[in-house]
Amino acid sequence: MLRIFIRFIKTYFLWELLRGLALTGSRLFRRKFTVQYPDEKTPKSPRFRGLHALRRYPNGEERCIACKLCEAVCPAVAITIESEEREDGTRRTTRYDVDLFKCVYCGFCEEACPVDSIVLTDIHEFHFEGREGTVIDKAGLLAIGDRYESSIATAREHDAPYR
Amino acid sequence: MVMIIIDGQEIEAEAGSMIIQAADKADIYIPRFCYHEKLSIAANCRMCLVEVEKAPKPLPACATPIADGMVIHTVSEQAVEAQQGTMEFLLINHPLDCPICDQGGECPLQDQALGYGGDVSRFSEGKRVVDDPDIGPLIETEMTRCIHCTRCVRFGQEVAGIMELGAIGRGEDMKIATVIGRTVDSEVSGNAIDLCPVGALTSKPYRFTARAWELASHDAISPHDCLGSNLNIQTAHDTVKRVLPRTNEHVNECWLSDRDRFSYEGVNSSDRLLQPLVRVGDRFEEVAWEVALQRAATALSDIGKAEGPGAIGALASPTATLEEFFLLQQLMRGLGSDNVDHRLRQRDFRDDSFTALFPGTELPVEQIQDAARVLLVGCHLRKELPLVALRVRELCRMGGQVAALNPMDYEQNFPLTEALVVAPSALPAALARIAIARVDQVEVPEELRQWAELIPDSEEFARTAKMLSDVEGEVVVVLGQIAAQHREASALRAIASWLAQHTGIRLAFLPEANGAAAWIAGCVPHRQANGDGVPEPGLNVSQMLSARLSAYLLFGLEPTMDLAATGNLVSALSDASFVLSFSAFRSAVPAQADVVFPLALFTESAGTYVNCDGRAQSVEAAMDPRGMARAGWKILRVLGNYLALPGFDYITADDVRSRVNLSLPEVVCRLEEGCPLPGAASKSVPWSAESQRFERVVDVPIYDVDPIVRRASSLQRTRDHSLAAVHMNKEQLLALNVKAGDSVRVIADTDEVRLTITPDDRVLDGCVYIPMGSAATAPLGGADYIELKVVR
Ligand code: SF4
Ligand code: SF4
Ligand code: SF4
Ligand code: FES
Repeated sequence: MLRIFIRFIKTYFLWELLRGLALTGSRLFRRKFTVQYPDEKTPKSPRFRGLHALRRYPNGEERCIACKLCEAVCPAVAITIESEEREDGTRRTTRYDVDLFKCVYCGFCEEACPVDSIVLTDIHEFHFEGREGTVIDKAGLLAIGDRYESSIATAREHDAPYR
Repeated sequence: MVMIIIDGQEIEAEAGSMIIQAADKADIYIPRFCYHEKLSIAANCRMCLVEVEKAPKPLPACATPIADGMVIHTVSEQAVEAQQGTMEFLLINHPLDCPICDQGGECPLQDQALGYGGDVSRFSEGKRVVDDPDIGPLIETEMTRCIHCTRCVRFGQEVAGIMELGAIGRGEDMKIATVIGRTVDSEVSGNAIDLCPVGALTSKPYRFTARAWELASHDAISPHDCLGSNLNIQTAHDTVKRVLPRTNEHVNECWLSDRDRFSYEGVNSSDRLLQPLVRVGDRFEEVAWEVALQRAATALSDIGKAEGPGAIGALASPTATLEEFFLLQQLMRGLGSDNVDHRLRQRDFRDDSFTALFPGTELPVEQIQDAARVLLVGCHLRKELPLVALRVRELCRMGGQVAALNPMDYEQNFPLTEALVVAPSALPAALARIAIARVDQVEVPEELRQWAELIPDSEEFARTAKMLSDVEGEVVVVLGQIAAQHREASALRAIASWLAQHTGIRLAFLPEANGAAAWIAGCVPHRQANGDGVPEPGLNVSQMLSARLSAYLLFGLEPTMDLAATGNLVSALSDASFVLSFSAFRSAVPAQADVVFPLALFTESAGTYVNCDGRAQSVEAAMDPRGMARAGWKILRVLGNYLALPGFDYITADDVRSRVNLSLPEVVCRLEEGCPLPGAASKSVPWSAESQRFERVVDVPIYDVDPIVRRASSLQRTRDHSLAAVHMNKEQLLALNVKAGDSVRVIADTDEVRLTITPDDRVLDGCVYIPMGSAATAPLGGADYIELKVVR
C-alpha cells in the first residue's frame, strides 16, 4: 500500500526528471575535458600506426633496397613490389604499391624492414575520392616520407629506448 | 656392405662410401657446403664435422670413409659445437647482406646460419673486401660473399672441362677469379650459379628481379636441342623470371646448358607478336582471331580448289611439339597435300624411303658415358648438345676414347684421341676410308670404294679405324648436325649404316631439336604418323621451295635464318599467292606473309617432346600465352574446323597425343638394309688464290639455332655469338693479303653479303668458315662454295 503511494507521488512530481537535471546541473559548473577535434587533438603514441611512408637517407637516397621482406610478411597481401637493377648497379624497386583498403595497419612491414624504409606514420586523417586513390604508389609513399620525415624520425627516436 | 651406426640408427652402407653419403641415403641430415654428389670431394668448408667414436676430434663427414662398426654422432655436443664453430668462422668475412642478395631465401648459408650460427657476432674487426670481376653476360659476381667452397672451380675442372674459374691466393687472401680479364665462356657455365651455395655467383639476367619465395614453379622441356632437358620454369607476375634444371638422371642429370637456362629471355622479348595480323596492301593490320582464321581458311581452300592441294606446302620449325607436328600434317593431308616437312636445314633427301622411324641415338643417352669408343662425324658436340658432351667427357675420364671427323678443328671439352679435319666435301670420303679400314675383309661395294678414292689414304684413317675395333663395350658413331645438313648427307648416313651392319657399332643420327617427334608425328612428306606410308610422297623442303608453290604455311620458323635454301625462299614466297605464317615474334614474320597467327612458345603451350633416345616427355603449359597468342595445337585445331576437315575435334593436347603411338621400340636409326649408296660426287674444285673461290665450312652456332635463342639478349652478348664473320687461317690471310677486321664481299650464287675477316686456325687451307643462322649471313643460306672479293 505504501509502495503504491510512493510511486504515485514520484510519478506526479517528475522525480526521475529532477534527478537527471540535478546531475546535469552539478556537471555544468565543473572543469570540461572535451577535445575540440579537429581544432584540438589528443597526443598520440610514437608507436601509432597510421598511413605508410617510404623514407630516405639524409643524402636524399631512398632507403628501400627491394628486399621484399615487407611484401612477404604482410598478412593482408597489401604490398606489391617489382624490382630491378638500377643503372648504378644497386637493387631498387621499380614499383612499390600499398593497397590501403587491404592494409590492416598491423605494422609488420615496418618491423620486417632491415633499413627502416617502410614506416607507418601517425597520420590517420586521410580520405579517398575515388577507388584508384586507395593504392599509393612509390612516388606517393616517398612524398609522404619526405614531408613528414621530421615527425617520423622523432617518433622513432622516442620509441628507440623500448626496442 | 658394412654396418655403421649414425645417431643410434643402424645403417647398412656401401664399403668405401663417405659418412655423408651413407647419412644421405638414410635421410640423416648433415650440414654441408663444399660437398656435392656430382663433384669430387674437397673437404674444405668443414661444415660437415661430426663426432666419430674413438676419433680424437670431429671428422669431416664428406671425406671420412666409413668403416665397419663405426659409431657416428651428428648431433652430439661435440659435433654441434664443431659445426657452430665452423659457422662462426664462415660468417666472419661474410658481408651478411642477405636483403640485397639474390640468393636470399634459398641460400644454404642463410639456412644453416639460422641453425648453427650465433645471434650476435663476436667479430668486431674489419671484414675482407674483394673486387667483383666481370665474368661475362650470364654470371654476376659478388665475391665478398664467397665462402671458398670451390664448387665452381671443381665444376669447371671436372664437369665442364674448362677451368675458367680458379682460386688464387691462400687463407684470407684467397679469391675465386678468372684468368685476368677473361670471361667465363663455357656453354654450361650457368650451372655454377646453382652450385654456388652462397650469393657469390648469381644469374645476371635474373638479377634483383624476384625473390625465390614469390616464384611459381612449372615443369617444362627444353625445345632447343634433341636432348629434351627437364626444366623448372619459374614465373611471377605472368613472366618467366628464371629457368632452373629439374633433375632427371636419364636426361640432363642435375645440369642445364646455358642455352636452355637463359633462352627464356627470348620468351619475354618485346618482339613477341601479340595479335593476329592480316595483310592490307603492303602493311599488316591487327585483326581478331576469327577474321584471321577465316581469311586463312578461305585462301587455303580456294587455292586447293583452283590449283589442287599439291600447290600448298607446309614447313615446320623442328622446335615445335609433337602435337603441333601431328596436327600440321593432319591438316595438310586433310587438304590432300603431302607437302609437309620440318627438316629445314637438310639438303639431301635421297635416302628418305630407307630411313628408320626417326633419327636418334641407338645407345640411350644415360649409357653414353659407359661406351668405350665414340666417333663424332660432322658434329660439334660441345655446342650442339652441351650436356651430352659432358657425358662424353665422363666417358673419357673412365678410360674411353673419342675421335672426331670434322670439317674444321673444333675445340671440344674432352680429349680427342684422333682429330681428323677434312674439307667439308671430303667428309663422306674420309668416313668411307675409316669404314673400309674398320670393316676390313668384307667385300667393299663399288660406290663405297669410289667415295674413298676421292681422297688419298692416310695413316689417321687406319688409326681411327683401329681405335674403333677390338674393344670391350659399345662403339658409337655419331652423325651430328653438320653431317645431317651436309650436301651429301645420305652418303654419310649410308656409309655409317654400312659400317654398322658389318660391325657391332651403334649409330647416332642426331635430330635437330624436337625432330624425332616430327618424324613420329608424320611431319615428313613420305610418311604419315607412326611411320605409316603414303601412296605418293609429297615434296620435301628443297622441292617445296624450288617448285614455287601457290601457298606456304610457315610454322614457327624465321624463314631467312632457319632454312638452308634462303635465296630460293625469298622468291618462292614472293611468287606465292598466299603465305600463312605462324610466328611468335614480330620480326620473324616474312614480309610476304598474308595472314599471321601469333604463336605461343614452349613455356606457354602443352606439348610432347621426343628426345634422341626416344623418350617422350609431355608437359602442361607453364603460363598463359602473351597477348592474344595461342598454343600452336589449338590454332591448328581451329583452323582445321574452319576448313571443315574431318577429325579435328580434339579437346586437349592429350587427345592429339593419343593419336600417336609413343610406346616406341628401341631406337634403331641406321638406314634400312638395301639402301643404295649414292654415287661419289665429283672432286671439289681446288682452291687457288686467283679464283678466290673457297669451300665453306658451315654450321649453326649454339645461340643461333632457333628464333627463341636468337632473341635471348644475354646469350647474344656471349662470346659464342660473335661468329658471323669470314673465318680463315693465317696463311690464307697472307695469301689473300688481308688482315683481321678487313671487310670482304662474300658471294654465293646470286646473293652476297659483306662480312669481316677473322683469323681462325681451326679452318683448313682452301676453306673458310661462315656460320649460318644469323641475320648477317642469312643471304648466303647453306651455300657450300663462296667467292671472296676483298673490299679495298
Ligand atoms: S601494416 Fe600490416 S597489413 Fe598494412 S601493409 Fe604493413 S604489413 Fe601489410
Ligand atoms: S621497404 Fe624495407 S622491407 Fe620493404 S622492400 Fe624496401 S627495404 Fe625491403
Ligand atoms: S664462388 Fe660460390 S661456388 Fe665458388 S668458391 Fe665461392 S662460394 Fe663456392
Ligand atoms: S661438406 Fe664436408 S668439408 Fe665441406
